[in-house]
Amino acid sequence: MPRTLAEELASKQREISVAEFFERNRQILGFDNPLRALLTTVKEGVDNALDACEEARVLPDVLVEIAKAGPDRLQVTVTDNGPGILKREVPNVFGRLLYGSRFHANRQSRGQQGIGISAAVLYAGLTTARPAHVISKVREEEAAHVLDLLLDTQKNLPKVVADDLLLWDRESGTSISLVLKAKYQRGRQSPYEYLRGSAIVNPHARLVLVEPDGTRITYERASTEIPPVPKEVPPHPYGLELGELAYRLKLPGPKTLGEFLAKQFAGVSSRAASEIVGKAGLTGKEAPGSVQGERLEALLAAMHEVKLLPPSAESLSPIGPVLIKRGLRNVLGEVRPEFYAPPVSRPPKVRGGFPFLVEVGLVYGGGLPADQPIQLLRFANRVPLLFQQGACAITTAVQTLDWRRYGLEQKGGAGLPIGPALLLVHLASAKVPFTSEAKEAVAEDPEIDRELTLALQVAARHLKTHLARRNRRAFAQEKFDIILKILPKLATKTSDLVGKPVPDLTPVITRIMDVVNLEEKVEATPEGVRLDAEITNYTPRARVLELFVELPAELFPLGRFEPAPDGTDAELGRAWWTLEKLPPSGRTKVSATFPAKTELEASDPSWFVAGVDEGHLLGAEPLPGDWDVRLPRAVIEAAEAGLEAPPAGAEAEVDYDAAETSARSEDDE
Amino acid sequence: MPPKRARAAKTTSKPARTEPPEALKPTQRLAGEIYDQLDRGEIPRMRLPLRTKQNLQFQMREGVWRLGRALGTRSARKLDGALMLLRTFYLVDFINEMARDSKTSTLRELYYISEGWEEGKFHSEDESNLLIEDLEVLCERLREDFRLHPEENGASVIGDLTIKETNRKGVVKKFNCRDDVGDGGYALPFNVEKEKIEFVGTNAKFVIAIECGGMVDRLAENGFDEKHDAILLHLKGQPARSTRRFLKRINEELKLPVVVFTDGDPWSFRIFASVAYGAIKTAHISHYLATPQAEFLGVTASDIENYKLPSDKLSDQDVKALQAELTDPRFSTQEWRSEIELMLKNGKKAEQQSLAKYGLNYVTDHYLPEKLAEMGIES
Repeated sequence: MPRTLAEELASKQREISVAEFFERNRQILGFDNPLRALLTTVKEGVDNALDACEEARVLPDVLVEIAKAGPDRLQVTVTDNGPGILKREVPNVFGRLLYGSRFHANRQSRGQQGIGISAAVLYAGLTTARPAHVISKVREEEAAHVLDLLLDTQKNLPKVVADDLLLWDRESGTSISLVLKAKYQRGRQSPYEYLRGSAIVNPHARLVLVEPDGTRITYERASTEIPPVPKEVPPHPYGLELGELAYRLKLPGPKTLGEFLAKQFAGVSSRAASEIVGKAGLTGKEAPGSVQGERLEALLAAMHEVKLLPPSAESLSPIGPVLIKRGLRNVLGEVRPEFYAPPVSRPPKVRGGFPFLVEVGLVYGGGLPADQPIQLLRFANRVPLLFQQGACAITTAVQTLDWRRYGLEQKGGAGLPIGPALLLVHLASAKVPFTSEAKEAVAEDPEIDRELTLALQVAARHLKTHLARRNRRAFAQEKFDIILKILPKLATKTSDLVGKPVPDLTPVITRIMDVVNLEEKVEATPEGVRLDAEITNYTPRARVLELFVELPAELFPLGRFEPAPDGTDAELGRAWWTLEKLPPSGRTKVSATFPAKTELEASDPSWFVAGVDEGHLLGAEPLPGDWDVRLPRAVIEAAEAGLEAPPAGAEAEVDYDAAETSARSEDDE
Repeated sequence: MPPKRARAAKTTSKPARTEPPEALKPTQRLAGEIYDQLDRGEIPRMRLPLRTKQNLQFQMREGVWRLGRALGTRSARKLDGALMLLRTFYLVDFINEMARDSKTSTLRELYYISEGWEEGKFHSEDESNLLIEDLEVLCERLREDFRLHPEENGASVIGDLTIKETNRKGVVKKFNCRDDVGDGGYALPFNVEKEKIEFVGTNAKFVIAIECGGMVDRLAENGFDEKHDAILLHLKGQPARSTRRFLKRINEELKLPVVVFTDGDPWSFRIFASVAYGAIKTAHISHYLATPQAEFLGVTASDIENYKLPSDKLSDQDVKALQAELTDPRFSTQEWRSEIELMLKNGKKAEQQSLAKYGLNYVTDHYLPEKLAEMGIES
């Protein structure tokens, strides 16, 4: 009897193993070409190493060696000083897809899905038929285990092909070595860039890369603080969706709805729980599983409506302003940027029931290329994102900001701005919404976008302030060049020619400058870090000035001021002085000394001066209007006495040398 | 109607090449002014006539364009101004030193001398040349009075013109610029004043000043100078001061008409303007350099059409140059306006050598005779 078509088809149906599925869909995991396969392998190895060290509270020391292993073949070895892996777990960790401890945890971690490193093992096996070579030692055992293993693509099970012991000269750690079809080159999407990015956001790690030609690149540790392991936290009701709530209600556990709300969610106190059930028209005594249909919707609406505690940041591991700056400085040191904006670390917000937060660092100037788009470094949970820049929500947020308002060029006020800047954007979350399994780009989301934009704006405002300051400095520099370098020579030359003594230049100098200038300097001295400000009255008349300094509040109490300030406000980080009367060309100085190694930047203190108007003030800002400060009488009187019209005529004249330039381009001879 | 030294007797043609102390007195005056300002506590400054096209004024009496009354200020308030003031006195110092040592210097040497002026060092030769011109204006002297001169650049003359030149060794040589010189013609020295060059005589009827060397060669090979009793003068692009001065002297002293034969493009119009009307950069001495009776022969915008000459499209820069000429007072005549507008409308320019389209003899047998007849130079 002939078989029916249905029977025939049924006979062909069988379970497709996960491994087999991924074998046919390599690109999903980032193994679609030899360049990318190498990067993905390095990335998974390094991420695992960093996560393992962090959990074990060890300062990570990660070595990545890439060596030639035949034509089109590279051997990649990633070695860490983590806690090591128990022998019985080794095959599962490296030889089985979707095996891991982090997938179900509601906290931030680098690897989430547990497919990464085993996918690399799989790829290596497929392209070179060589097994993964794993060495791992735990502190409690004398010797390290050495295992060679392959991944059985049919059964999604590891196959151990060799098993040995080794006396390893380290207390604990793991090393995995793979031979795969791959290609090495430096570039935007390379292991080199990946390690550089990782070094910036993991200043507590020491990372070493050995390239196939033997070049050794070392990123030394810039911090000895191990970031805290993010705690697991239950989801937060804000942003929770209906399906997710229904699913959670059905899970075994609490007997009543009230208990369910108070125990299974973050930010819900028992009082808030009663408020929620009240708003939803429920009693709180119901069995959680019984809440369905309209009652379910009412419950969710009430959960969104009631004011709750904000989500705890404990499930997140932000890098933090101090370490962002340190990480950037450690890696970009040789570029000598002129400005590190104070890094921005936004408070945590909730999206889809999970907390997230955004951090932004910005660096400007120095050796960064001025005529190209800025460098954008994207990170999710401390992992550099190197692919799919165009499809990433972080990129969109950067591109939609009008950077022209903040002093960078940008064609039409959209797109990546152009200028000598580098922008670091970090998104930390227990669940980062990636656009795909390859975890290369963050998906668009209105809440995340809002936070990104806010953080970027803060960083951009710092840049704008810096650029404005710099322009004023350049203007001041021009004047200083005139009075210090040119004027004295002009006086000597003309005096010689007419055979008379050189006249006193003070009146001319103050007329040319016509500013009160503040020059600040930060330097390390034997007594500590010293901040100096020198105020010079380069105006043609005497001045009584009030000087204010504003310091980061955490640094303020550490400073010893000289002379003693006439007043301070530690809470706001401010100190002020009424300066002695300064005649034309007169100068005076104030200083503050901080303990050695205090991290104080020249851009940290802000200086404000009262008693002279903005147009005649350099190196400091006029007193902000909202400070509501009562100035000493002497300052006010001196300022009023000096209210005189500027010398007439000078401004209306045509600048001969500026006009001449146009003639030069027109003509001839 | 010799336009000479009426009101501007002090600065005009070959003004007193006075003895050093006299020539350098004005520089002393400048130093004194700045010293007094410093002594009074004022920001040092100088006022100079603006050398811009907006400040060109036509001088009826001389028939040339000279500097108007608009003044600019060079002040130590600005870095550029302060630097130029400082350089001015380094320069004055250097000039005085040369006078003491009886030396002269080329413009290029001066540029290198400034290496020792610290902050006052020039960044380009343009900068040093401009400052020398400024000093000419301020002191009402010529750069030769300051013992500064350009390099010999050898613009050449071919034709029946007999001159006496006093050479470097002080020996007077007399020769004819057609019969006594090689194929390269007579190379003009930078000094073309009477004490150096004297005109003895000529049978030529006119002078034809030519932009490109290739065209000079063509006319010489075809014997144009002899057949048409012409003196050929090579302008070498924008003509040097000595070339313009020489043309003016021939025109005025030998009463020969001058025609200017250039490419047909916006830049050639400017060459003609600086020959006939005066250049912007040297507008302070236009009365000494410009030949107001010089006439433009071509190539004109209409020549390109009438003679169907091979042409190039005007570049963006060409168009900009033409538009700038429309606001240049020197080109404000009806004739020039329509010429410029026609070139803009057609969007085409042509080189003078494009006439070779019709053969090597076409320019001498057809084009020039036709144009000269049109202009009434030949019949």
